[in-house]
Amino acid sequence: MASLSTTSLSFKAPIQSTTTNISCDFKTSSSFQSISFGRFQSSKRIRLQISCAAKPETVQKVSDIVKEQLALSADTALTAESKFSALGADSLDTVEIVMALEEKFDISVEETDAQNITTIQEAADLIEDLTVGYISFSGSYDWMRQLTEAVPL
Amino acid sequence: MRISVMSQMHRSFSIDLPSLIPLQLPSRRETHLWYVIPDEVKSTSLLKRYSQLLSPIEKDGVDQMRGDELKKNALLARTLVRTTIARYQTNKEVDPRSLMFKKNVYGKPEVDWQNCNNQPLHFNISHTDSLIACGVTVHVPVGIDVEDKERKIKHDVLAFAKRFYSADEVNVLATILDPEVQRKEFIKLWTLKEAYVKALGKGFSAAPFNTFTIQSMPGTEGAYNLCKTSEVTADPPEETKKCNGGWKFALFDLADSHYAAVCTEDDQANEGAPTKIIVRKTIPFVEDQLISERIFL
Repeated sequence: MASLSTTSLSFKAPIQSTTTNISCDFKTSSSFQSISFGRFQSSKRIRLQISCAAKPETVQKVSDIVKEQLALSADTALTAESKFSALGADSLDTVEIVMALEEKFDISVEETDAQNITTIQEAADLIEDLTVGYISFSGSYDWMRQLTEAVPL
Repeated sequence: MRISVMSQMHRSFSIDLPSLIPLQLPSRRETHLWYVIPDEVKSTSLLKRYSQLLSPIEKDGVDQMRGDELKKNALLARTLVRTTIARYQTNKEVDPRSLMFKKNVYGKPEVDWQNCNNQPLHFNISHTDSLIACGVTVHVPVGIDVEDKERKIKHDVLAFAKRFYSADEVNVLATILDPEVQRKEFIKLWTLKEAYVKALGKGFSAAPFNTFTIQSMPGTEGAYNLCKTSEVTADPPEETKKCNGGWKFALFDLADSHYAAVCTEDDQANEGAPTKIIVRKTIPFVEDQLISERIFL
């Protein structure tokens, strides 16, 4: 079975006209939760939707936005588990935080998701779930088949 | 009318709390709005007594709040709910500690009356940094929201409204040229929309903010109408607006510092009839003060 050790894939997110590069390391199957393949086209571009546990950088960026929205001091200790309500956020604050996250990460959050975010972790996870990437590679169909065979679904 | 039982407080050192003065239930066309100003509650012994009213889960909730001010406000919120509801049980004296609470299937807090069925009391709370409010009705669900008049939002008001409010509401806001007046209208709309969703009690996904419009009723002050937009599958697809009844709204100033919105389900028997809002300020176990009684069409 082909292994994907230390393969690093970089993604370009085609949201609006900007591109965001996110790399998600595939070391073992436990580093991602689900993988689904879109329709394979001979143009060698396939669409992958990948959910990973939110990266520390994302959590940090979310924390910064939360601190700004809630006017917390810079040295307030926030963790991924920090609850917005425990920090004094009301629903208007939560919605403002979501708007700031949309701007920062160039994403669009569903209304219902917006109101359901209660912790920094949830916000970070949602951001990463929403970031869909295209992978372009030069290679053959065999490479793609190797990829599918190696990845437990 | 001020009722003071301060002297009674000082005499009792045991955990027995002084009696709560009972209250008349609101009538069907009334909402009672009670509020506490945290800055007016300074006594640490009083706050200690309050914490004795809370359930273990509520105490955890208070402990989870980050910072003394947030902890105090969380404590006052639970105290206001427990003492207020306990006072409306006019048949017998109810210990506020004995009240149980639960959430409906969508997460809206309600009293768990246990074995006493058909209790008509409904309540809803809302708070800001500087004010905690509790609305009480009988027979009909109620939702309230309070907001500091001076609250500044970080985003541009129109950008925010375009993102979250309905198209009609955006149009109304866009016609307001003075940015301060516009901001105030935005905040008023927020409280009205929040109050509706909370009265509905089905969570935000049941009524996304951009699917309904709240507009002021011309010729009235503080009375508002709800219009629901729905897409009718036709060819071409149409948007229809239903603006008839179902819910009553009232918006008014509270404590000079806040806007308060109250939304109640329209009583089918008396649909369209005016509603009365009685506002009282309180410090639980200490004093009540009648602030206003006002009729909204």
